[in-house]
Amino acid sequence: MKTLTRTMFHITLFWLLVGMGTALAAKVGDPAPGFTANDSNGKTHRLSEYKGKYVVLEWHNQGCPYTRKHYESGNMQRLQKEWTGKGIVWFTVISSAPGTQGYVTAPEENDYVKKMNAVPTAVLLDPDGSLGHLYAARTTPHMYIIDPHGVLVYNGAIDDHPTSDASDIPGSKNYVSAALQEAMSGRKVTEAATRPYGCSVKYKD
Amino acid sequence: MGKIDACREPRGRRASRSKIEPYRMRRLLPFLAAMGLSWVGWAACNAETIQARHARVELVSQQVNIVPAQQLLLGVHFVLEKHWHIYWTNPGDSGQPPVLQWQLPSGLSAGAIEWPRPEKLQRSSLADYGYQDDIVLLVPVRVASGLKDGDKVDLRRQAKWLICADVCIPDHAELHLSLPVASTPEHNQNQKALFAEAGKRLPQPWPHSWKASVVSGKDDFVLSISAGKPISAAEFFPLMPEQIENAAPQPLQTTPAGAKIILKKSDQLLKPVHLLKGLLVLGGAESYMVEAPVTPIRSGEQNK
Repeated sequence: MKTLTRTMFHITLFWLLVGMGTALAAKVGDPAPGFTANDSNGKTHRLSEYKGKYVVLEWHNQGCPYTRKHYESGNMQRLQKEWTGKGIVWFTVISSAPGTQGYVTAPEENDYVKKMNAVPTAVLLDPDGSLGHLYAARTTPHMYIIDPHGVLVYNGAIDDHPTSDASDIPGSKNYVSAALQEAMSGRKVTEAATRPYGCSVKYKD
Repeated sequence: MGKIDACREPRGRRASRSKIEPYRMRRLLPFLAAMGLSWVGWAACNAETIQARHARVELVSQQVNIVPAQQLLLGVHFVLEKHWHIYWTNPGDSGQPPVLQWQLPSGLSAGAIEWPRPEKLQRSSLADYGYQDDIVLLVPVRVASGLKDGDKVDLRRQAKWLICADVCIPDHAELHLSLPVASTPEHNQNQKALFAEAGKRLPQPWPHSWKASVVSGKDDFVLSISAGKPISAAEFFPLMPEQIENAAPQPLQTTPAGAKIILKKSDQLLKPVHLLKGLLVLGGAESYMVEAPVTPIRSGEQNK
């Protein structure tokens, strides 16, 4: 009887877990999760304020070799300049917990942005990782694109060369640019979900 | 990073749990020389151990010689510092697998890495697949028939890998090994335990009598295994990225003939999967390569 009860319990647990849907997710084609976050200049941003515009989210850790690949080569800054120049909102997001690699205070981040000539719309500071977990951000970099209707149209890597070697950039296909070009000309994004590559996001345990 | 003569004490820090065999070789040398087998020592001592960042790396050979028209088994042996890891062919949520680029003389061609069973390395909401402590990546090398007895063959490989603990460091090394050509194979006794251990971590082919199939629901795959015996513990490692949520638990229901395992679908999976390929690890040790055909769930069956 005891065995039967235990078996019943396991079967129930099994199907309960089967039935558990995706509670938190940023799935391409679905509405992007709404958020409120503070930037490195103390300004608060709500995703809903940017309805009508494309929004790019770029997960960032200045110490990660994969992030450095795209910043020390100037690749990320070129993308920021090009796309913000076309009216797109670009948020760099830092989800490193205090004491982990990539964690910065607001003044430290502002110094870094200045030094690197980075031109995002703003840098969102997310030391408790809530925005990172909301979007299930895994790596630095990890890129997302939200369309003017608030729908997620891209989730994944920055490009198709998952290495930390800057010499790979010229021969790479940039997925973010490709997705923005397609979406902005009214086409469906061909490669809308790719494997993000890089260091893991340094969430607090 | 410094090159270390494998037959001498490495300079600097020496990992206490090191299993690198050349140290044993060093102790054996006088004995071998006395027996007139010094060339064996010469051959094995032409391997270099590289002190890389948080790891020592060396190219090892199952044999002390190369025999024409016979396969040679080489290995890249990593001894990793505590808390550091390298990655499996599918690294999981982050990371990058090691890459080996061989520079081999004509007549030799290297096959693909035979990936050992990985571990699931979980931190916060993320999970990677990789290796800690001590790992050998085996690579079979085809040898042509034209090599001449007594010739010396130089094997070189450029390796690139990512090593991570709390932080990640990309690293690389060029390793080499010289082996003489001979007519009969001779196993390197000093590497015997290392290769035997490496062999045990390789996945086995899927047994003919076993069956695997997958039903694809809205949010999950249910992998059914029929193995003719109840399976009480199993873990699935997907060969392809972005098919399942790596960090999700894999609830298992034991059945009289095997098990059913729930694999949560990746949010990144936008197209249907027809074949789910991966590694099934039973009881934490035995591992099998599995390729399970996927059929969509029939309507109305979801969540019953």
